[in-house]
Amino acid sequence: MSDQATHMTPDQTVLSRLSGVATSGVTTTVLVAALIFMPFLLGGSWTFTLGLCFANSIGVLAVSLLVRYGGEVSIGHTFFTALGAYSVGVLDVRYGISLWASVPLALLLGVTFGLLFAWPSRNLHGIYLAVTTLALALAVPEMINNFDALTGGYEGLYVSTPFIPGVSMGMQRYYVALVMLVIVCVAVARLRLSRQGMALLLAKTHPSAADAFGTRRVWARISIMGISGGIGALCGATLAFSGSTVSPGGFTFWQAIFLLVGSVVSFYGLSLPRVLIGGAFVTLVPQLLSASGAWIPVFYGLALLGMILLGHYMPRIRKAMAQKSEVA
Amino acid sequence: MSFWDSLLYDLFPLIWSGMITGCLYALGALGLVMIFKCSKVVNFSHGNVAGLTAFLVYGLSSGVLMSLSWGAAVLVALLAAVAIAFLIYSIISPVVFESDLTSTIATLGFGLIAQGVTLLIFGADIVALDLPIPRFAFSVLGLLITGYDLTVLAVAVVTIGALFIIIDYTKLGIAFRAISENPFAAEVCGLNLRSVHYFAWITAAILGVVGALLIVPTTFLSVTTVATFMLQAFAAAVIGGFASLPGALVGGVLVGVLMNLFTFYVSPEFSSTFLLAVILAALNIFPNGILQKVGGSRV
Repeated sequence: MSDQATHMTPDQTVLSRLSGVATSGVTTTVLVAALIFMPFLLGGSWTFTLGLCFANSIGVLAVSLLVRYGGEVSIGHTFFTALGAYSVGVLDVRYGISLWASVPLALLLGVTFGLLFAWPSRNLHGIYLAVTTLALALAVPEMINNFDALTGGYEGLYVSTPFIPGVSMGMQRYYVALVMLVIVCVAVARLRLSRQGMALLLAKTHPSAADAFGTRRVWARISIMGISGGIGALCGATLAFSGSTVSPGGFTFWQAIFLLVGSVVSFYGLSLPRVLIGGAFVTLVPQLLSASGAWIPVFYGLALLGMILLGHYMPRIRKAMAQKSEVA
Repeated sequence: MSFWDSLLYDLFPLIWSGMITGCLYALGALGLVMIFKCSKVVNFSHGNVAGLTAFLVYGLSSGVLMSLSWGAAVLVALLAAVAIAFLIYSIISPVVFESDLTSTIATLGFGLIAQGVTLLIFGADIVALDLPIPRFAFSVLGLLITGYDLTVLAVAVVTIGALFIIIDYTKLGIAFRAISENPFAAEVCGLNLRSVHYFAWITAAILGVVGALLIVPTTFLSVTTVATFMLQAFAAAVIGGFASLPGALVGGVLVGVLMNLFTFYVSPEFSSTFLLAVILAALNIFPNGILQKVGGSRV
């Protein structure tokens, strides 16, 4: 995705990378520390909204991860968020079981269905996969509505069982989301250094080299879909707990596109501050524009185009500026 | 009723009406494939832009915006579709030559904008938009054939025939095929990629308007109807291999018939899920489309 680093000398690249890692580490720590104290400064409704931001950030991360490690675009991640959300919702409402059991179940289901979906589409890439995920996104609301004995149909489910009994529900809804976001971000950062992460990146950037080293492309494709699906399900689980309701309206085709828009707006970033920008975008824009509903798609569309054109023209403008300053 | 009777009474009419809608899916799919073949972009804004133009026809002919005659309204809508296609391609063309996936995402942005604009101008109401065609119906061998069916068939045959003649015999068509085969070699030979891309995008927009106007009488017109209709067109294009115009045609008819049979015999509630299954199955069995010649390669 980023080729800016290619025209620097090796020393510069390493140095800028190292300083980049250090500053991003500090920024993330400061940001997380600030977020921990937020509920004491903000009112209840803002705390609630921030919790939703964290949950959506996880979803944005799942989409960005697929782009970064798989080179694929998904417009069907609501399938995975719905899986996660309904495992939390159904276990809570029908069986009274809290997050202790439903989050692992959500993760398991997300990974399993990610793999199951990836298997038939293992030889697809680029636009073919994008169109298939589109079909996946469209099938979701229909499935939810037709399994209404389990999912509650249009009315949805209300999640009310506390994670830690005795602590105020508002606080729990906020901190569970924050903790989930931090855990997922740390896990993704670890993935970058792991063998699996390296193999995935190799399979994406140099497929034939990966073949030579024994990483099969098919496996890379399937596993990244599993990982991304799992994270998507965690997003859904968090969304269900922090947002307190699970209903088909949260998993429409448009929601899937909004996740992708969030991912593009954060420039497919995988660090916590970046995904938070994407998550905030997905959560706050509909809230701020709720009075004028028709403007929401227009605004999303313009933001999407704006970011893409910015990503296209920025390196050129920067290069032109650099050349100008060299001449001067 | 015996099995054979029910087959005769249900199956043939289902296949017939599936073929009629299938022709319309094919019109949508042909536009998607034309754009994909030469510029390698999947145009996700296709449905929403076609929906916007269908609303324009409604607005201009019903007195919401103006009270033109139906023909004049269609003409204005076609011009609008051409202008929109021109605008969209002009904005994303620098990205098209860099990354097809990024430009595909950009078309989603245009789709969102087109949907928002439709909502802003016409609201979320459901309206009726009919075709000015004679109403008659007759029956052949137990099949009820209406004026609408024949209109759709005639328009589809004429449009698709004209398209194939343009692509097979005109200079523009040859340029289009050359660029689809090998853009680099075509450019070396002095062809202007952009102007041929414009041709594909504008033709696709026109096909989209025709498809939208013909599908609307069977349903009602709302913000989402045409976009939903185009999703079947996506499925049709995928089944045809996304890079083959005849494939899109066959895919469209196949999707139309299969969807009709599924909703009648199995369940109307799981039609999108069925579409997903059809797409996944088609991609596995015919990864390069149903009309792809079987070929081998030596390693």
